[in-house]
Amino acid sequence: MKPSRVPLIVTWAVIAFFYIPIVILVANSFNSSRFGGSWESTSLKWYIRLMDEPSIWHALTNTLIIAGAATLISMVLGTSAAFALHRFAGSQLQKLHYSIIYTPLVLPEILMGLSLLLFFVQLKVQLGLATIAIAHVTFCLSYVAMTVLARLQDFDFAIIEAAQDLGAGWWTTVWKVLLPMLAPGILAGGLLAFTLSIDDFVISFFVAGPGSTTLPIKIYSMIKYGAPPLINALSTILLVITFTCVIASQYLSNRGRKAA
Amino acid sequence: MSEFLEFKDVSKHYGSVKAVDHVSLTVKQGEFFSLLGPSGCGKTTLLRILAGFEQPDTGRVLLGGEDVTDLPPYERKVNTIFQSYALFPHLSVWDNIAFGLKVAKRPKKEIKEEVGKMLTMIQMEDQAWKKPDQISGGQKQRVAIARALVNKPRVLLLDEPLAALDLKLRQRMLIELDLIHDEVGITFLYVTHDQGEAMSLSDRIAVMKLGKIEQLGTPAEIYEAPRTSFVAAFIGDTNFFDGTVAEPLEKNSVLEGFLSVAVDKDYSRLKIEDFPDLECYNDKQIKEGEHVFLSIRPEKLRISRERPAAAPHLNVIQGKVEDVIYLGSQTKYWVRTGDYRISVIRQHSRFLLDEKPIRWGEQVWVSWHADDGFMLEKYSEQDENLIQLPPEEVGETTESNQILVRAPAPGAVPAGAAPR
Amino acid sequence: MKAGRRRNLSEWLVTLPSLLWLLLLFLVPTVLVFAITFKPATPYGGIGDGWTLATLRTLGNPNYPAIIWRTVWLSVVATTLCILLATPMGYYMARVSPARRRLVLLLVILPFWTSFLVRIFAWKVLLHPEGMLKHALTFLGLIAPETSLLYNAYAVLLVMIYTELPFAILPIYAASEKFDFRLIEAAKDLGATSFFAFRKIFLPGIRVGLLTAFLMVFIPSLGSYVIPDIVGGPTSEMLGNKIAQRTFVDRNLPHAAGLSALLTVAVLIPMVAITALRRKESPKDALIEEGV
Repeated sequence: MKPSRVPLIVTWAVIAFFYIPIVILVANSFNSSRFGGSWESTSLKWYIRLMDEPSIWHALTNTLIIAGAATLISMVLGTSAAFALHRFAGSQLQKLHYSIIYTPLVLPEILMGLSLLLFFVQLKVQLGLATIAIAHVTFCLSYVAMTVLARLQDFDFAIIEAAQDLGAGWWTTVWKVLLPMLAPGILAGGLLAFTLSIDDFVISFFVAGPGSTTLPIKIYSMIKYGAPPLINALSTILLVITFTCVIASQYLSNRGRKAA
Repeated sequence: MSEFLEFKDVSKHYGSVKAVDHVSLTVKQGEFFSLLGPSGCGKTTLLRILAGFEQPDTGRVLLGGEDVTDLPPYERKVNTIFQSYALFPHLSVWDNIAFGLKVAKRPKKEIKEEVGKMLTMIQMEDQAWKKPDQISGGQKQRVAIARALVNKPRVLLLDEPLAALDLKLRQRMLIELDLIHDEVGITFLYVTHDQGEAMSLSDRIAVMKLGKIEQLGTPAEIYEAPRTSFVAAFIGDTNFFDGTVAEPLEKNSVLEGFLSVAVDKDYSRLKIEDFPDLECYNDKQIKEGEHVFLSIRPEKLRISRERPAAAPHLNVIQGKVEDVIYLGSQTKYWVRTGDYRISVIRQHSRFLLDEKPIRWGEQVWVSWHADDGFMLEKYSEQDENLIQLPPEEVGETTESNQILVRAPAPGAVPAGAAPR
Repeated sequence: MKAGRRRNLSEWLVTLPSLLWLLLLFLVPTVLVFAITFKPATPYGGIGDGWTLATLRTLGNPNYPAIIWRTVWLSVVATTLCILLATPMGYYMARVSPARRRLVLLLVILPFWTSFLVRIFAWKVLLHPEGMLKHALTFLGLIAPETSLLYNAYAVLLVMIYTELPFAILPIYAASEKFDFRLIEAAKDLGATSFFAFRKIFLPGIRVGLLTAFLMVFIPSLGSYVIPDIVGGPTSEMLGNKIAQRTFVDRNLPHAAGLSALLTVAVLIPMVAITALRRKESPKDALIEEGV
């Protein structure tokens, strides 16, 4: 019985489709030609010119501040949410809780962007780094919660009872047993939140104020109004960073799964 | 009955593992034939080769004289009852049974009729529109049978069909399967690791080990005359004694009576450490000095407080009772003699409470007739490991009947190794 | 009683932080969008006092039906193609060896987490009038030199599929992995061909994954904004572009809110329908992991 080859062909064709544009982009970042239609010569000139753009460094700093803050807050809120969803699953409250955590995951970003903008405008809040960070927590929270929740699915709650049976109080149980065991999941969720925050453009664009340009906003304006080869170089740097992060998070989450 | 289904020199490798190793086998029309063996013995692979899910590396498969080796599964007139039943979860009972007929594009009226007949046979007319997850395990089993039989296959393949059921249900389905086989009269090829199932259902059994057929015969042949110690240990329970064949009996002729002299050639003396010399039937004419395993079924042994009166070919040894397990219809004793723990089963054919039962710690005599023992080749560690393998997949093990059919460690295990 | 109350208290304690945050910063702003639709705009780009139906009236502008139609059409086509590609992939990934499966999964996830803008930009470079693809296709005589690969609806569709495809692959793969492939054998045993078994047994078996994939691709597609903005042109504008245009260019927030409200309703209809359907089908699987 010969299995059909269609699935195999489709799979690898799609993977090629995924990577060809990325590979060409990276290659072009070392091409001194402006559009990459032809190869002029290999050079690092776009990277060198990138270093001389102070606005990029400024945007990067903003992005990291926002991502750091949003990650920390969403890790705390998301973990507690996941715990509630798992431990008290089935209660009316958790059904509501689940819907409100799940919905932001599927809603188009532009809706969250505009609604938060209107919200901040109505409350007369000054738009800036803080509003972006708050917006980022709002969607990162759901991702952290889902990641930790997935980990909790194969968590044996008898361990908590065992800890209490052995005399550990509520606080000790959380600190010495629960959190250490969930740490890989929480960290994976945090890494995910960090990556998403660094990458977010649409929502940030809506709630950004003067002087709070983030890296994606900067890239967007570069794409719209100017310097493609510079973006090639910048994109390549970003690709290297995100690839590292994703592989690290996969590693962490696999290791955690094995340990559990 | 004619030769109907034939495996000719069939082999199948998975990487370096020989799942099926040059097996040739014929099954007769209408026969209930079982492939029996521990997990990994190749029985399921053989079944899957017949069903068409696997291609053999060598050999041919013939069905009714026609070579079906290269046919895809959907062109073979065989149907399978899967271990997990593999009922389509999104289809109702009715649609599950109708599946094969619909695929074959039979007229609607005929489908309706045939499915109706099957539902009547499995007594589930009123559950026709339920989904598989709304019916019980036994009902799922019946639907799976109906779904296969409705296509009127030439052979019905059953892959551990009872393994997922609990003990009670398994016994009931055993009877039902037997009835269905009698009713439809088609050939059944039954794969199982459970010797109880195979023994009670089959016309013939092939015991498999590591991809090869170890012994083929009727249930009684296999139980009463196991050809290897693997078969002896796998089918039912047995005691093994490690010994050396000594001279044939006639040389030493110390037996009373003249009649026995004529048959004495068939008996050999057996030397076993710490034991008096034993006699054993030697139909295979094993030569003097050879190393053998003596195998005796626990129910062939007799246990008594007094030494039984001497009789021709009666072996008698003394021991101490180490364990008594009362099982209702019978009692199982573990008797210690030297390095051996001998398992003895005693049927209770009389009212037990009037007797003074044999208890733990008593000195007893264990005796048996020389005809009831078998001299077999050595029972290897590999055999032991194979037999101890847990049944493949499916949650339920056969734990509940394990006490009855298979002692965890046959008598050959020296005492020091297994203190109890 | 006392244990019950303590359980209640601890439930609120772990639920409240996230619940309050999302109520205040997700639910309230979403409701606000609907409210502001009925507010007048001020000339300075703010929101005026009082109530008005002005925004609702402008939604009747004949421009909008065309844009809405294009948004729905592009989303439907993108979703269909994504599912068509993702289904054989899910099947493949569920059937190969675990090592190969991990590799494919990683290869699917990697671009998924790569900068969204960078991926769109990569296509812009590729499709650019002076880019590699254009040169190659012109050279092969497949397109006329004056044909533009960029700034049209096909470019938008292509890049939408490129960015949304992982969202279709992951749920379909998750469902395929749980699928009992012995059912396919059972179907073949009963006489079904491979393709018949795929259609009648495999597809219904991964229905939950297909529904999730539909949801995960179709809904974000409806809200596309950056893709048509970067690789699209005036003839391929979508609803998202209009929202951004009203917000940043015209500075008419009530108008943007009106369009957002419209999009929210458009998004909620399939979402509620499919969630309900999924719950009904299999309450347990409704909680399929959304993350990775």
